[in-house]
Amino acid sequence: MNILFNDVLPIPLASMIHSNDSLWNSKVILEKGQKVIVEAQSGRGKSTLIHLLFGVRKDYSGDIMINDKKLSDFSSKEWVDYRKNQISIVFQDLQLFPNLSVLDNLLVKNNLTNHFSEEVLISLVNRVGLAEKLHTRCGQLSMGQQQRIAIIRALCQPFAFLLLDEPFSHLDEKNAQICMEMINEHCQNQNAGWILTSLGSVGIFECDKLIQI
Amino acid sequence: MLRKILIRNQSVKQLIIALLGTLLGVLFLLISVHYLLKVNEFGKGSEMLGPNTLIIQKKVSNTTTLQLASTDFSKREIQSISKQPFIEEVLPVVSNNFGVEFATSDPMLPYFRSDVFIQAVNAKFLDVKSKQWNWDETDLVVPIILPRDFLVMLNTFMSSSGIPQISDELAKEVSFSLTLSNPSNKRLFKAKIIGFTNEVSSILVPVTFMEYGNHTFGSNIPQKTTQLMLSGKEKEFGLVEKFLEKQHYESKNSQLVTGRLKSVVSSLLGVIVFISFLTLLFSSFVLIQYIQLLITRNVYEVRTLLRLGYAPKVVCRVFVRYFVLLYLFICFISSVLFVLLKSNLDKQLHTSGVYIDLHFSSVSWATLGVSFVLFYVTTYYSTKRIVMKEF
Repeated sequence: MNILFNDVLPIPLASMIHSNDSLWNSKVILEKGQKVIVEAQSGRGKSTLIHLLFGVRKDYSGDIMINDKKLSDFSSKEWVDYRKNQISIVFQDLQLFPNLSVLDNLLVKNNLTNHFSEEVLISLVNRVGLAEKLHTRCGQLSMGQQQRIAIIRALCQPFAFLLLDEPFSHLDEKNAQICMEMINEHCQNQNAGWILTSLGSVGIFECDKLIQI
Repeated sequence: MLRKILIRNQSVKQLIIALLGTLLGVLFLLISVHYLLKVNEFGKGSEMLGPNTLIIQKKVSNTTTLQLASTDFSKREIQSISKQPFIEEVLPVVSNNFGVEFATSDPMLPYFRSDVFIQAVNAKFLDVKSKQWNWDETDLVVPIILPRDFLVMLNTFMSSSGIPQISDELAKEVSFSLTLSNPSNKRLFKAKIIGFTNEVSSILVPVTFMEYGNHTFGSNIPQKTTQLMLSGKEKEFGLVEKFLEKQHYESKNSQLVTGRLKSVVSSLLGVIVFISFLTLLFSSFVLIQYIQLLITRNVYEVRTLLRLGYAPKVVCRVFVRYFVLLYLFICFISSVLFVLLKSNLDKQLHTSGVYIDLHFSSVSWATLGVSFVLFYVTTYYSTKRIVMKEF
């Protein structure tokens, strides 16, 4: 799956001045399997970019093309298929169910896609160091712990691109590395890419493309 | 799992109030529709004349006896009656001006004969198919409607002869005969009872038979119309009664009382059906408002599930299924209460001497079905509307 930004400009950012190498108001192609880091200061539209790609926001001018089809032309059915099979996401505010346990939060997603067996899910939780929290309600976890669960949940489906909106903001470097390794492994398995937004430098991660906005 | 996520943050008090309102609405609707139908059906079957049919005549007073005023109906008077908006049909009752003898002609029954008086009645006024109430000169069997008093008299004769009495149904199976005669001629016909009447004292025959009789055996003196048969419009029997009183016409009271009572009761029940319908409408509205409140309270969960890739219809289905099951449960409870209340009410009516049909009316069950379908459709679309907003 390729993504083409064709003179895309979110309405709320229309009054801002954007540099020539900004993603906004220019033509940018993200190719299948690419690892993309989007860097910008706060308020320049990093989350907006993720939300536009995920269809949470639709207030923009220009066209976002997914495999030659405009995102704005997607039907409800196509949106469901797109979110279920082609694109996955880790929201900045994570969007977990605070009243459900860690395992139930993962099963809600995995039951929809049947992507992993329950054993694989548990092994992923073990890998991020949260084995003992499997049956703890997510609302009782720290933000860092919740971030790790949200990342595993995002991996519970097939995808061509994984959208990561400041996914390691509450993680220490070691845990961020563990999570990134896990993400890269799953992307490699399905020849997928990721788009990661970050406030500052994320030099510890290798990428194919760095976009400033 | 989805139900665990979506059906939470409930306001139990509000839910119970909404469910109780719906329960009462469904129950009232079932009861009122059932009894409205039963009251309208009241009297059907046991009486051959239509439910709003009357035979009227002019009041016989001293003036009429002294022949200062006529008891006949002129053509003008008949026309004036037929023009009244509450009158559906009015026709003269034709009587015989020849001799008629009614007799049993069945080996199972002892011989019984009596001179009788017959009158013709148009099929329009009867609760029978017009095919059954038909006679032409080639037919050897004449359909007749027997006054119930006549059957009582016949049964009195039977029991005095030591023979078991005959029921309505048996009487319809037994052969009788009608002999038409004048001083010079005589003809015998077989007669078949097709029903009974409480409202007329003479044996009723089809108009064609009476015409044949009067033509073949009657004298040439033109007949006077002293009785009219009329049918009033449903629920306007009060007006018919007022009109008859004003014109000094009279009729058997029983018909008027039944007609008047049916008019009053069915109007009252009509109002109750309307109120029940409104109750159900408002209580269902409260329930649907509650569904919307529940979705709004769980909007984060709805939105998150949609973002995880759940189709809106899957999310809708969780809410719709939950509330449809609740509604089905309400329908079940209402039906049980309806059955219990109905059996109680029927017993009370029976003790008060009101014999209405005890069968369940399919229309009331159909009303329940329609209310369910309407609830399902409304719930589905209002849920879909809110869920799609979050998509």
